[in-house]
Amino acid sequence: MIVLDKIRKVFNQGMPNELVAVHGAALDLGSARFIVLKGPSGSGKTTLLSIVGCMTRPTSGRIILDSREISGLPERFLTKIRRETFGFIFQQFNLIRGVTALENVMVPAYPRGEKYSLLRDRAMALLELFNISRKAASRAEWLSGGEAQRVVIARALINNPSIIIADEPTAHLDTGLSHEFMEIMGRLHQEGKMIIIASHDPIVYESGLADMLVGMRDGRIESVRDLA
Amino acid sequence: MSLMVWIEKQRNLIDFVLSSLLRRKGKNFALIAAYILIVFVLASVMFLTHALKREASIVLRGAPEIIVQKMTAGRHDLIPKTYARQIEKIAGVSSAKTRLWGYYYDPLFKANYTLIVPELFKYEEGGIAVGEGVTRAGVTAEGNIMPFFSSDGKLMNYRIREVLPADSELVSSDLVVMSEADFRGLFGIPEGLVTDLAVSVGNPQEVLTIANKIKQQYPDTRPVIRDEIIRTYDAIFDWRSGILLVIFSGALLAFIIFSWDKASGLSAEERREIGILKATGWETSDVILMKFWEGLAISLTSFLVGLLLAYIHVFFTSATLFEPVLKGWAVLYPSFRIVPFISAYQIAVLFFLTVVPYTTATIIPSWSAATVDPDLVMRT
Repeated sequence: MIVLDKIRKVFNQGMPNELVAVHGAALDLGSARFIVLKGPSGSGKTTLLSIVGCMTRPTSGRIILDSREISGLPERFLTKIRRETFGFIFQQFNLIRGVTALENVMVPAYPRGEKYSLLRDRAMALLELFNISRKAASRAEWLSGGEAQRVVIARALINNPSIIIADEPTAHLDTGLSHEFMEIMGRLHQEGKMIIIASHDPIVYESGLADMLVGMRDGRIESVRDLA
Repeated sequence: MSLMVWIEKQRNLIDFVLSSLLRRKGKNFALIAAYILIVFVLASVMFLTHALKREASIVLRGAPEIIVQKMTAGRHDLIPKTYARQIEKIAGVSSAKTRLWGYYYDPLFKANYTLIVPELFKYEEGGIAVGEGVTRAGVTAEGNIMPFFSSDGKLMNYRIREVLPADSELVSSDLVVMSEADFRGLFGIPEGLVTDLAVSVGNPQEVLTIANKIKQQYPDTRPVIRDEIIRTYDAIFDWRSGILLVIFSGALLAFIIFSWDKASGLSAEERREIGILKATGWETSDVILMKFWEGLAISLTSFLVGLLLAYIHVFFTSATLFEPVLKGWAVLYPSFRIVPFISAYQIAVLFFLTVVPYTTATIIPSWSAATVDPDLVMRT
């Protein structure tokens, strides 16, 4: 369960280029398990996702995750929560160039000190799950958009997180691949994962999978629709 | 964190570091090659200098405590044998032996030889024993005749009876050992005069006092103490290695600049990667640890390879590259197989001069990059 309480995020505070990305956002996700943040570019979706995913701290306000306030925790604890609770799918894929697809999937788990062979088997299993194991030895930059996306999903799942966060995941995919992506998200949702996606792509917010639709504009939450 | 987990974590990080390094093969191999070259040069100079100093001190260990030379108008002159008998009477002197020796320049082969007369020479007159360097320079061998020109211009022929074993080639390589009569005949030295005196002293504490007494008794002599010779050798080899280091310091500086630039400047690509690692759950300390392993992998590999190459260079190929500078002026370079000798101190100095600075230079910049918020990757 995630609760956002008066979240405000200001970039370059006190500087001439100060930018308020999120204005006092308050949101109780309640029992929702598939949330879509919808809104145009610059509406604050990505910043709000970063805050929910413990990637950045709000300038003010509180985040409560499973009845525990996490906004004030030191970096080390935030990293631990990020690693154990969230799996990330980025708009730009953010795969590490020059290393193989398999290694890219394994990277988030390296600091956990899991036995290398076990970790490799798990990563391989995930690649197989998304039907991309034949590309395991390919370097990240040799993958097509759809392949890269599936590797990114496998990477997001390597630490078995309970929440998947995706930022504009279909921005670089064609219609077919976008539908395929939403299908995978639907499957993960059914397996019990909580999904939070920020997108302004109708394929995402009209997919019928979301049980909560949050509309954003100019850094503010404009509407919250419970679709459950 | 249990030990096994910790070990696995380090293994995983090292594994990642190695595959990361392989991505920029050309750049990293060039860096490692330059690094190896620097370690190789430094280690070669260090090994060779220490080995030569050690060799010289081993040789001098058997030398007499004091050598007494006669000085005439500031020049070394022949000394009367009678001095030896008088010096022997000084309290504390165990023996004072006369020595006959000298340098000979062979115009035929353009080589310098050191001629000596031993206390007991086992071959009859006309027979000589020579060092290996002499047989090489004179393209000769045991049983052959070797010609010399005497001080009065006469040709003297000696037969090589023995080629001396190379115990310490540095010193014995250019030796020609002959009988007293042959030596006197060759150099025209009259009976009653010798080159110098070798004085043995029982108690090392008394060496200086006895040297002073000799000087007082015979103001026309110069007593040379063995420790002074050792110090001179040390100074000469230190000076020579210093010259080599000065020559290579330019290369060393260039490498420092190169490695600083490589190690300290994080490219946009590297910053992005660190952002990805942090976003996907790496702690700042994990990133720094990874950079530490990266610096160590490069510097330790280069260090060990450079060290190994220097070892082979110095002790197996007789320091072919630096030989002319470090071994001396003599025309007869001994073909030298230096006894392998490495001290932990040398290795430690080299390690702290090369591995530590590089590894530190790799970690420091990543520290600032690692403190960047991981959401950087969300915004770019």
